[in-house]
Order: sequence, then structure tokens, then C-alpha cells
Amino acid sequence: MSPVLDIRDLHLSFKGYGGLSEVLHGISLRIEQGQKVALVGESGSGKSVTARIVLGLLQETRTARIRGAVEFDGRDIGAMSARQRAALRGTEMSMIFQDPTSSLNPTFTIGRQFREVLGRRDPGIGRAASDARATQMLAEVSIPDPARVLAAYPFQLSGGMNQRVMIAMALANRPKLLLADEPGTALDVSVQAQTLHLMRELVDDHGTSVLFISHNLGVVREFADRLYVIYRGRIVEEGPAAAIFADPRHAYTRALMDAVPRITGGGLPDVPEVSEDFLAPLIRHEEDAA
Amino acid sequence: MIRAFRILAANPLSLIGFILVVLIVFAAVFAPWIAPYPTHNGAVVDFLNNNRPPSAQNWMGTDLVGRDIFSRILYAYQISLGLGLVVLAIAPPVGTIVGLLAGYMGGWVETILMRLVDVFLSIPPLVLAIAMMGVLEPTLTNAMLAVTVMWWPWYARLVYSIARSEREEGYVLAAEVIGASSFHIAFREILPNCLPAILTKMTLDMGFVIIIASSLSFLGLGVQPPTPDLGSMVAEGARYLPDSWWLTVFPGLAILLVVFGFNLLGDGLREILGVDE
Repeated sequence: MSPVLDIRDLHLSFKGYGGLSEVLHGISLRIEQGQKVALVGESGSGKSVTARIVLGLLQETRTARIRGAVEFDGRDIGAMSARQRAALRGTEMSMIFQDPTSSLNPTFTIGRQFREVLGRRDPGIGRAASDARATQMLAEVSIPDPARVLAAYPFQLSGGMNQRVMIAMALANRPKLLLADEPGTALDVSVQAQTLHLMRELVDDHGTSVLFISHNLGVVREFADRLYVIYRGRIVEEGPAAAIFADPRHAYTRALMDAVPRITGGGLPDVPEVSEDFLAPLIRHEEDAA
Repeated sequence: MIRAFRILAANPLSLIGFILVVLIVFAAVFAPWIAPYPTHNGAVVDFLNNNRPPSAQNWMGTDLVGRDIFSRILYAYQISLGLGLVVLAIAPPVGTIVGLLAGYMGGWVETILMRLVDVFLSIPPLVLAIAMMGVLEPTLTNAMLAVTVMWWPWYARLVYSIARSEREEGYVLAAEVIGASSFHIAFREILPNCLPAILTKMTLDMGFVIIIASSLSFLGLGVQPPTPDLGSMVAEGARYLPDSWWLTVFPGLAILLVVFGFNLLGDGLREILGVDE
């Protein structure tokens, strides 16, 4: 079976006033069916642009130059037309964002927005059918009173509720791949943990593959099967999550891990902003090392 | 709806505005039945009663050819409100489409459309209208056309600035991510978020459109006699000030009241719809 997502030697550069500046220097990443993969790195390391390339959004930006292969479900995204890429979004792949409340349009009810999402796969869907499906999806994300939520506007719900709504919407069309760009970073920590737990159960049930983007290794540890650590547009360490957490070998991975605050205190360590060691070549953990 | 009315009622000034507007609209619509001399909206001459001060027969006096000024003001309101409605039925949609396209699409579309808007905005509004009326025949239709041409760029700029900031909102990215088309995003996602500001501006603008239209006919470039118009009535009487003050003061007051009413109502509406600035 071919992997759901296969990125090979992806280069990205932006054309600016000072010529081309390269942002991704050849990254490779694979996500198998049902696998939860995390892409971890600091801000500006190239996590989010990678997600935008997978979604086919960056291909439409004229200043972006993309090289390398991105295959989704065996099909080359780079070779598709803009229309074909748009057809994939919202049906085969979907995305969850940092701030759930601002990702929902404040002028429409949740029910109405659900209908638009469901209409992507089933254009003629009626109100009753869409509400029934939405109610079922909301029940799956443990929302106690789906009818009330469907009639509500996003600003009438709490951030945690909106996050669950976003998860329900993102999974409503049974996508093969879910991209989660720092989901719930705008929420407080306990709500974030709760919704992540919920999301993990759901994607396991549905067999959805996930590309989870984060800067927080603590969050990733709870969620991912496999880990890619990215630094300045290069993958510096990859392997099964358990193996990397047990034995982080790259200097940058160790620095990232030190940056996760601990409940036992001791404050944050002095992590150098830039270090020669961070540019050391890729370390690949063997699959059986876990 | 009930909530809107409660806010309106809690704010005495906007309530006054609302009542004024309702009264004026009612008077204009039912002018033929309310006006004491309904025939006086046309070419009627009654020299025996010309230039009379306000009295029990003619509440606001009579004009130079003996027509009842109160009746003519009611009919003039029909013209002013009708003109305002037509202008505000055309200019805001045109401006909104231009502003949305420029604000959401960006790039060369934005450059071309917004520079065009700048060209229109750089010409003083009344000068543009006067120039247009000078070229065209001075009729009601052309007055509407002239005011519309000078009015749409303001809506384009308003909607453009809102669309620019809404474009960065998460829900627009979310819509892109589920594969929504540009058309859908501009008109179905962003436009509803611009509507409160557009509606508020339209209410506030009603008064200004009436002022501009009256200014045009004051200069003799709008509605032509014998059709009554507030602007031309003021102009006609201005030569006989201060002796025949009623010729000018009542039509002037009529303009003041309608503009005042729409402005107060617009302020109230701004509060109800929660529009800043």
C-alpha cells in the first residue's frame, strides 16, 4: 500500500527583492495509512509552509519556487492543476488551526458552516441531512448538547467548544489526511490536552493519518507515533517517537527537549540561539529501535 | 429586532432621529392626501395670494406665484427621498463589489481598482457633479447619475479596508483549506462581515446625498421648475431675504430636519450593529 503522504527532497524558495531565498533545503517525510506523524521545530523552521505545500496553497503563490516530489495517496500534487488541488482540500485532506474561534466565520451559525463543509463531498446535501450528520459528528467529539451548538454562533461558544467543533468539521468528510497546525495553542493547557486526547481517539477510530505540526515536544509526546525534527528548513532527526524521546541524538533535538518546562521546576536551561551542532547532518533512528 | 428597538429607545437622540425619519417618509409617501393644496406641486399660479406670510390657510406662507409652501415641501421630500434611494441602491453595491475584489484578490486587481477609486476621490465631489451636469442636461435622472458617480468610490474604499483586514482572519484561511472558490470566499464569507458597516454608512449617507442633491438644484443644475425641490426653493427665495423670509427658511428647515434625522438614526444604527470608527 502506498503511503498517504510521501514528500521527497522538497525544496522551497521565495523570490524576494534580494533574489531567491531558500526556506526548505530538501526535506523528506512519509506518512503511512493511519499513522500520526509530528513535525517539530521552532518558529520559522519551515513547518507551516510544508503544510501549505501539502494542501496545495503555496503552489498558487507566484513568488514561491517549489522543487521535489509531494505525493498524496500516490498522486503527485505538484503535477495537478489548481482545480484538482482545490478538489482534494476539504474532502481528502483537511486542516485544524491554532485558534479555533477565529477559524469560524462569526456571521454564520455552526450548523450553517457544517452544511458548507459537508457540501464539499455531497453538494446537494439538505438541511435535515446535514444537521443529522453534524449532530452525530458533534456527539463523537463529546459535545453534550449538539442541537444548541448547531444553532449557536462561534462567539457564543467557548474556545474549547469551538476547538471540538473544528475537529468534528475537519473529520466530517472522512479525510485520508488531517493536518493539524499547532492545534489549540490559543487555548489554555488543560483544555488543549483534553481536546488532543479526543482528537487522538477519533483519528484512531477513523484510521485517519495525521501530520501534526508543533513546536512543543511535550504535546507531541502525547500524540505522535513518529517524529520529524526540523531546523532551519532541514530535517535533523527522524524516527519512531518513543525512540527519539528515549534517546535524542541530535544536538538540536536535545535543546528542544530541554526547552519543555518541567513540573519539578528548575527553570528553563540556557539554550543557545544558534549552535554549530544544530547544523549537524540528519540522524535517522531505525524503525526497530523502538 | 426587539433588542434593536430597545437600544434605539434607550438612546433618546437616535429615537428622535428614528421618529423624524418615519414622519418625513410618511409625509412624503402620503403627500397627495396630506398636502392642503395637492395641485400646487405643478405649474399652478394664484397671483391673488402670492408671497403671503404664514397664516392659518398657508401654514408656511405662499411662494412668488401663490403656491402653498407646505404642500410643495411635502412633494419636494418625495423627490429628495426618491433620489437618495436610487443613489443608495446603485452606489453601495457597485462600490462594494469593487472594494471586495480589490481587498480580497490583491495584486494587480487591487492596484488598478484602487487607483481608479483614488482618481474619483481626488476630485471634489460637488465639482465633479457640477461638471457632469454641465455636460448633460439638468434633469432628475442626470442628477441621480451625477451623485451616484461621485458616491460609489467611498463605498469601494470602506469595503476595501474591511476586506483587507478580514482577509487575514482565520476563517478565510479555513475556507481556502476546504477548497472554497475565491468567489465564495469574497461574497459568502467576507461580505457578511462588511454588511454592518455598509448599512450604517448608507443611513448616514442618506442625509448627505440629500444635501448634495439640494446643492445641485440650488445651483439650478438639478430638478427643473415647476417640480418642487428643496434646493431650488431655497435658491428662489434667497433673493427676497430678509423680507419674505418664509420662502427660504421653511425649505431650509426641511433640509435640516431630514439630514438631522438620518444622521441621528445612523448613529443609533452604528451602535446597534456595533460598528467602530
